[in-house]
Amino acid sequence: MTKMKKTSQICQSKLPDNTALKQQQLPAYRLQLSATGVLSGFFATGAFCLGVGIILILSAKSIKEIEIKYTKICANCAELREDAINFDKECTCSIPFYLSETMQGNVYLYYKLYGFYQNLYRYILSRSNSQLVGTDLKDVGNCAPFSKSHNGTPIAPCGAIANSIFNDTIILSYNLNSSIHMEVPMLRSGITWWTDKYVKFRNPSAINLSSAFTGTAKPPYWSKPVYELDLEDTENNGFLNDDFIVWMRTAAFPTFKKLYRRLNRVQYFIEGLPAGNYSFNITYNFPVTRFKGEKSVVLSTLTWSGGSSLFLGLAYTVTGAVTWLAAFSMMAIHLMLKEKRTLFIERFETERDRA
Amino acid sequence: MGLRGAVPSCGHFFPCRVSHGIAGTLLGEMALCAKKRPPEEERRARANDREYNEKFQYASNCIKTSKYNILTFLPVNLFEQFQEVANTYFLFLLILQLIPQVSSLSWFTTIVPLVLVLAITAVKDATDDYFRHKSDNQVNNRQSQVLIDGSLQQEQWMNVRVGDIIKLENNQFVAADLLLLSSSEPHGLCYIETAELDGETNMKVRQAIPVTSELGDISRLAKFDGEVVCEPPNNKLDKFSGALYWKESKFPLSNQNMLLRGCVLRNTEWCFGLVVFAGPDTKLMQNSGRTKFKRTSIDRLMNTLVLWIFGFLVCMGVILAIGNAIWEHEVGTRFQVYLPWDEAVDSAFFSGFLSFWSYIIILNTVVPISLYVSVEVIRLGHSYFINWDRKMFCVKKQTPAEARTTTLNEELGQVEYVFSDKTGTLTQNVMVFHKCSVRGRSYGDVFDVLGHKAELGERPQPVDFSFNPLADKKFLFWDPTLLEAVKMGDPHTHEFFRLLSLCHTVMSEEKNEGELYYKAQSPDEGALVTAARNFGFVFRSRTPKTITVHEMGTAVTYQLLAILDFNNIRKRMSVIVRNPEGRIRLYCKGADTILLDRLHPSTQELLNTTTDHLNEYAGEGLRTLVLAYKDLDEEYYEEWAQRRLQASLAQDSREDRLASVYEEVESDMMLLGATAIEDRLQQGVPETIALLTLANIKIWVLTGDKQETAVNIGYSCKMLTDDVTEVFVVTGHTVLEVREELRKAREKMMDSPHTVGNGFTCQEKRPSSKLTSVLEAVAGEYALVINGHSLAHALEADMELEFLETACACKAVICCRVTPLQKAQVVELVKKHKKAVTLAIGDGANDVSMIKTAHIGVGISGQEGIQAVLASDYSFSQFKFLQRLLLVHGRWSYLRMCKFLCYFFYKNFAFTMVHFWFGFFCGFSAQTVYDQYFITLYNIVYTSLPVLAMGVFDQDVPEQRSMEYPKLYEPGQLNLLFNKREFFICIAQGIYASVLVFFLPYGVFAEAARDDGAQLADYQSFAVTVATSLVIVVSVQIGLDTGYWTAINHFFIWGSLAVYFAILFAMHSDGLFRMFPNQFRFVGNAQSSLAQPTVWLTIALTTVVCILPVVAFRFLKLSLKPDLSDTVRYSQLVRKKRAQHRCTRRPGRTSSRRSGYAFAHQEGFGELIMSGKNMRLSSLGLAGFATRSGSGWIESLRRKRSDSPGSPPDKPLKG
Repeated sequence: MTKMKKTSQICQSKLPDNTALKQQQLPAYRLQLSATGVLSGFFATGAFCLGVGIILILSAKSIKEIEIKYTKICANCAELREDAINFDKECTCSIPFYLSETMQGNVYLYYKLYGFYQNLYRYILSRSNSQLVGTDLKDVGNCAPFSKSHNGTPIAPCGAIANSIFNDTIILSYNLNSSIHMEVPMLRSGITWWTDKYVKFRNPSAINLSSAFTGTAKPPYWSKPVYELDLEDTENNGFLNDDFIVWMRTAAFPTFKKLYRRLNRVQYFIEGLPAGNYSFNITYNFPVTRFKGEKSVVLSTLTWSGGSSLFLGLAYTVTGAVTWLAAFSMMAIHLMLKEKRTLFIERFETERDRA
Repeated sequence: MGLRGAVPSCGHFFPCRVSHGIAGTLLGEMALCAKKRPPEEERRARANDREYNEKFQYASNCIKTSKYNILTFLPVNLFEQFQEVANTYFLFLLILQLIPQVSSLSWFTTIVPLVLVLAITAVKDATDDYFRHKSDNQVNNRQSQVLIDGSLQQEQWMNVRVGDIIKLENNQFVAADLLLLSSSEPHGLCYIETAELDGETNMKVRQAIPVTSELGDISRLAKFDGEVVCEPPNNKLDKFSGALYWKESKFPLSNQNMLLRGCVLRNTEWCFGLVVFAGPDTKLMQNSGRTKFKRTSIDRLMNTLVLWIFGFLVCMGVILAIGNAIWEHEVGTRFQVYLPWDEAVDSAFFSGFLSFWSYIIILNTVVPISLYVSVEVIRLGHSYFINWDRKMFCVKKQTPAEARTTTLNEELGQVEYVFSDKTGTLTQNVMVFHKCSVRGRSYGDVFDVLGHKAELGERPQPVDFSFNPLADKKFLFWDPTLLEAVKMGDPHTHEFFRLLSLCHTVMSEEKNEGELYYKAQSPDEGALVTAARNFGFVFRSRTPKTITVHEMGTAVTYQLLAILDFNNIRKRMSVIVRNPEGRIRLYCKGADTILLDRLHPSTQELLNTTTDHLNEYAGEGLRTLVLAYKDLDEEYYEEWAQRRLQASLAQDSREDRLASVYEEVESDMMLLGATAIEDRLQQGVPETIALLTLANIKIWVLTGDKQETAVNIGYSCKMLTDDVTEVFVVTGHTVLEVREELRKAREKMMDSPHTVGNGFTCQEKRPSSKLTSVLEAVAGEYALVINGHSLAHALEADMELEFLETACACKAVICCRVTPLQKAQVVELVKKHKKAVTLAIGDGANDVSMIKTAHIGVGISGQEGIQAVLASDYSFSQFKFLQRLLLVHGRWSYLRMCKFLCYFFYKNFAFTMVHFWFGFFCGFSAQTVYDQYFITLYNIVYTSLPVLAMGVFDQDVPEQRSMEYPKLYEPGQLNLLFNKREFFICIAQGIYASVLVFFLPYGVFAEAARDDGAQLADYQSFAVTVATSLVIVVSVQIGLDTGYWTAINHFFIWGSLAVYFAILFAMHSDGLFRMFPNQFRFVGNAQSSLAQPTVWLTIALTTVVCILPVVAFRFLKLSLKPDLSDTVRYSQLVRKKRAQHRCTRRPGRTSSRRSGYAFAHQEGFGELIMSGKNMRLSSLGLAGFATRSGSGWIESLRRKRSDSPGSPPDKPLKG
């Protein structure tokens, strides 16, 4: 008895297991493009895209935006900045403009650069996160070609990104009438990512910021060292400077805008920017003409999805429309061929049976 | 996995002269191959004189099939691996990445996978080689007895040298190619079995030349100093020419005197032989051909595509480099304030040059190394499915199917030509006496209780032969009526079995009383004599002049007067015997076509019924013989014997004169009956062949057997049917004859009125692109039968194409009497000119070369020899499993591999081309779009498993359907699912996806802002958005491509997405950043970007736009141009399952063909028996006979052998 059992076991050992996996019999859903499935999918997707597209277009239309390119307007400043010798000469430029409609709600002020390549391979690499997080000021390993000053002291903040920081000052003033010019109150805070401000950028720990940065040099193009960026607000000084942090978040494309300030909704500006005469007072420091770039200032409001452009809405609408078109034509083709196909299947089956 | 790169650098069998201890380095190894011995002009070997023989440096008897030793392994293996295009490509990339100016990706993105792949392959190669070493050692260390310094010494095979004299004993393998010197049998005869060599299981006789046959004892052999001068080593198994110089005389030598390595000595106590060829020079080794590393056509295509892609890469690199140079010249120089050029860069041109290499690195992911790894994994999976398949498990032999190579699976789905051995593959090589017809009554059908013909499996008990103590226990017969007739003493039945017990050339051996063993030259004869034995007519013993038969228990000795031997023209044999009463009677058995014309007119009525029976037997695929007798009166016989003697003494045209004398006496015979022998087919062979034929697979049978046997099997396994319009037989001996016969065959095919295609199978003709010649369009079915010697001519360079064209136009091709090498040559011919995938299936050592040559070699396991299995790529124990291997496993493997490749190229182009578009926006600075971790993990983690799951598990139609609709196999043969066109479609789809995945986010990001007002278009957010859309798009795409969603697929697809997001968030987490601030720069990015509705809207849009067109195209294709598998799938939905089982065993149809006769023994054996040369003196008890005839008969035998294997062209078998 036991012997028999044993032999049968031996026999079984050679016989492959009868499991669904090994016999390729796993239960499975066979994916098949059925007409109803495909067509209803198409109609549903089309409807969704059209809906989203229309909503996006409508909300994009509600955005008020104004952009002023000031490279040409401030041509004299631009010319001055072409020559590096004039780095200490101040040049300001005032750009008046008229806001025909009130900009409701939160208003954001951006600067926009044209033709500035923040996405070059070597440019993006040229920074030291361990320095910026305040742990190792001397770590300038990746910062070539701006890692050390002439005398060999490490630069803080090092690297090409930090060195090329956008350093124009933009002040928006509201001309209530021809005599009263008031500066529009702007907030500097809240323009950075939370993680940037509180994780990625940290000042070296020391009682005094300037002492913390001893033994480092300022980037060559900077007019003042990093610990003097904002002497009034320690939370905005050193590596924690908001403008610095915003600049350090490199842009994906050569044309980009970066958030500069946001409207502080007080007094006249509780509702937003009222219509009227305004002017930008710009301290022009950042040279762009050398690389044929351009600068502009942008004022913009937002909607629920942020500052979405028309592109996304249009793309959705077009996709939705095309999908519906495709769905209708597919349905037509399917209905036309249905009879033929049933016939074909029948013939196929009979032929199979005959074979 | 990782089997690539195992291309042997030179021939398989090196001369085994690697000196002991000294490691042959790579160079040494190469030099050994390059500097082969100058071709030998002639071979000289002197017996017992090692010093003299050493001069010639002949190869020793050691064989080497292994490729490496411990020291050469690493360099040789690496060298081989780097001969692979892909490996070199990755090595090159790796070197590029080490140059800092050029490196745009971290070095680890390439080196880790490369090392992994190389290591896995190396381990695999090492294990394989270890086993080769082991088997080499085992063979080389076999013992043999060598005559050294006058005494026999045990030596290992590998130490046997040319010129040595070795002693062989019964049932031993012959160690090298030997010149037979002497043997235990009289006249220096010995018997060998050549199954290992040519697959023929019948015994062959070899004889020593008379001068040496007396050298029976060691002392005389030790003094023997003859010198053999012969042809150089070659692979012709049946030819040998040389001479022995001894005692100042010259003795010609022929193949008749040779024992070849691989044969087994049988029925001979011992023999001595002189080693002429050893080791790699032996005919066996010369015939084994080279081991070629087999690749699938998809492998080759992939290598081509990799080269193309590399070209494509270079083009893109050039475009981007030019772009970079221009950009640096126009913009970059001015931008130097913010980003000065690298110190090494002095001009825009040089910068462009560097960026070219950078882009080559970045874009290399179009052919990721994971492609090769995944391909191997998938193939491994498919191999396991084959191993695990219970439906390919042979219960009787307890052998599962085995995929011995894991690299060829998808090729199984593309087979167009199957080359099959006959014996042991299609047939079981068991001859069974199945039915007979005695005086117009047919015996052998089994009836069940109700009187219906019983089918196999429902048979009652076999006939009980216990009355007969001499019966063979293994013999089974089911029809009791025959035995009853015998027992009743029916004279006709008695005469019938008497004939069977007398008319043959079988030798008997009786070791103990009653234990009879028959030594039959052909299994057919053995079956007939055994049948007679069991029915009470026991052939007991014979002398040259007598035959002793136990007839129903009483011994009767007949005087044997003459054997009218068989030959190919006569197709019959007769004996003339005098019974104890003194009556002389001629017993004849032969092919019905011949014999029925020679009957006495009085038997007309009997002839008609017998003919009916014969037709019935032939229709069942049985091999038939007709039996007849004739009484001769004394005077006539005396007169006839006189004439026969004269004829046999005639100097000229002896053959013809003898034939006419024979002809004269074999006339006006009385019909006795007919026998039907079953050359038992393996189970399910006809069904398998029918199914494979429906799947458009052409089956060629290549066999060492005789033409008649082969054709007969062709009929019984339904390769040849009555539908075949004509069977062309090519048996020409000269080039001209063969050419003429081929030409005639072609003409006939062209001329024939185009018959109507029979049903479904023929209506769908191949697309015209496949037509290589008009001949392929031939309507009607033809078959070609070609003989070995005609084949030799047909395979010559100037005729091979003609032959191929003719053969390929035929539905069935049978090559008979072919040598192992010819088998390989035929396969090679088809392989070379047809661009079709070939599969060779066989079971014996004689099939090894064919198995190695074909794209896929299949070995039948569970048989005696395992050489075929060892050389094969797949093995199983039954021919019928071939249908499952091809139609189910092969088809699925091909489908899965193609879908896998399409998807793989798609996903990598979609992934990589994004960098190209981004180049235009980042000053061509070789900035990647994605995070480098994403680049590293994309192929390994995020997208590898779903596509692997699809590649391993996908099914388009259930397995039963692929058997039901063999036409489903066709896409593989036509290479439809993955070819250059499909490749371009995938690439186009990939590029389309890359465009959308890049430009849609670009369009959105260029203007948009986040909901907190900050810019959206920062580099990191863009990278995350693009990467996420890409992962989602390719995941949805794999979801669409997966036709068979198992739990595993679900797990992998959803799992991959989950893992992507998990890794994304982990990589962007604060913790990792705090530890490695410089390595994890994307801190906070995932949380921040993926919280933006705009980002999600972008991802959703990208997915929709990438996927919908694909769905639309597929849907339209399904509606407008469905292929067969679509239709099958659709029809599954439509119809209710109809319980129906195809391929049931069809009852044997009656066929009009009736000439499958069962003679398989060679001509000349009768003469041997009559001379008594093959009988031991002791068993004869007759002393005087030996002096009777000199070497005359041997001469004539030799002459016949050398020029007879042919007969004048036979008539077409059916016409």
